[in-house]
Amino acid sequence: MKTSRYNLSIACGIALVAIMLALPSRLPGQTAAAKSPGSNGASPTRWSVQIDQVDPGNLDLTYSFQIAIYENLVDELNKTKQFQQVFRDGDVRAGEFPNLLVLKTTVEKYTPGSETRRAVTTVSGATKLTVRSRLLTREGKVVFERIVDGDVRFFGSNLRATHNLAHNIAKTIKQSSWSGSGQPTAILTGQL
Amino acid sequence: MDRFVVSCSHSKTYHLGRRHALWLSTVLICFSLTAPAQKITQRGDTSAPFSTRATHLLGFANARNDSTGTLSVQDDSLQFQQNGKPGARVKIALVRNVFLGAESKQVGGLPMTLGKTAAPFGGGRVVSLFAHKNYDTLTLEYVDADGGIHGAIFQLTKGQGELVKNELIAQGATISSRQDQSTKESATEAKHENK
Repeated sequence: MKTSRYNLSIACGIALVAIMLALPSRLPGQTAAAKSPGSNGASPTRWSVQIDQVDPGNLDLTYSFQIAIYENLVDELNKTKQFQQVFRDGDVRAGEFPNLLVLKTTVEKYTPGSETRRAVTTVSGATKLTVRSRLLTREGKVVFERIVDGDVRFFGSNLRATHNLAHNIAKTIKQSSWSGSGQPTAILTGQL
Repeated sequence: MDRFVVSCSHSKTYHLGRRHALWLSTVLICFSLTAPAQKITQRGDTSAPFSTRATHLLGFANARNDSTGTLSVQDDSLQFQQNGKPGARVKIALVRNVFLGAESKQVGGLPMTLGKTAAPFGGGRVVSLFAHKNYDTLTLEYVDADGGIHGAIFQLTKGQGELVKNELIAQGATISSRQDQSTKESATEAKHENK
């Protein structure tokens, strides 16, 4: 009786060790299996993006803000490393790239703020920007569309709102199911 | 005796006053004659490059963002140079647009902000009410060798923006029709800032 109990405990121990050894080796296998459908064994198509100048719409948005949004977008999209190349508006080299997307930004709402008001009251004087961001193919097919906000509420100059906005746009593109290395399949709409 | 002394001293004072007045008026006339001559000399000296202190906010060639330096118009280029560092240059012929704006900013930067936050009984807010300064913002739009559009924003002392813009135009910068909105822009920004 005593020997059988002893054998059972040894068997359980061996089984436990076997499970523990097998588990870590199975997890990477699962990850690899999850990765494989996306890649399909072929090298992924890397897309490039051209950033168009900001369209102020009907709003009285100052030129410094338009330029700041545009410049910050170039910086932030370069930082994400999501695209093979990031081109500026008017860049002739963009025409040579077959997989090119165009990022169009239209300002939908703009609330001018004041740094002094923010510093004095804390609760008022925020500068707010709301834009519609769209990624289009050469043929004009929209592959990504989102409404994104950017603001400065407490510290910093009014232009900081443009930096926050560009950061949010880049983050939204990166986090969306659209990835710069895949095929544009679905139109993504929503608000950040 | 006393009366004589008094009258004598009075007459001396009078004579001294007249002499002083004469001397002063002569000096003033001399200054007024030389002042226009100085003005003419400054205007006539066109060979000296135009330069002014500026803060580069973003976008100009390889210059660091939020850095202070000297913005100058030299030969056919607009140059921004930080102290002791090689300058960033853009050819004036490549500048497509120049826009002027106005902005009110809190002075003192981060140390001042921290100080105001730490001040008791909301004292920092009172300081903020007065610790702001108006600046000119100069927004440039230029193209690179590949035709890509770049934008740059500079912050200058009030009144300097107009001078830089005029200098750029004088050096041959092409300004588009949108330029006439810059005055409106300045007025709008200033209005929002003063609210």
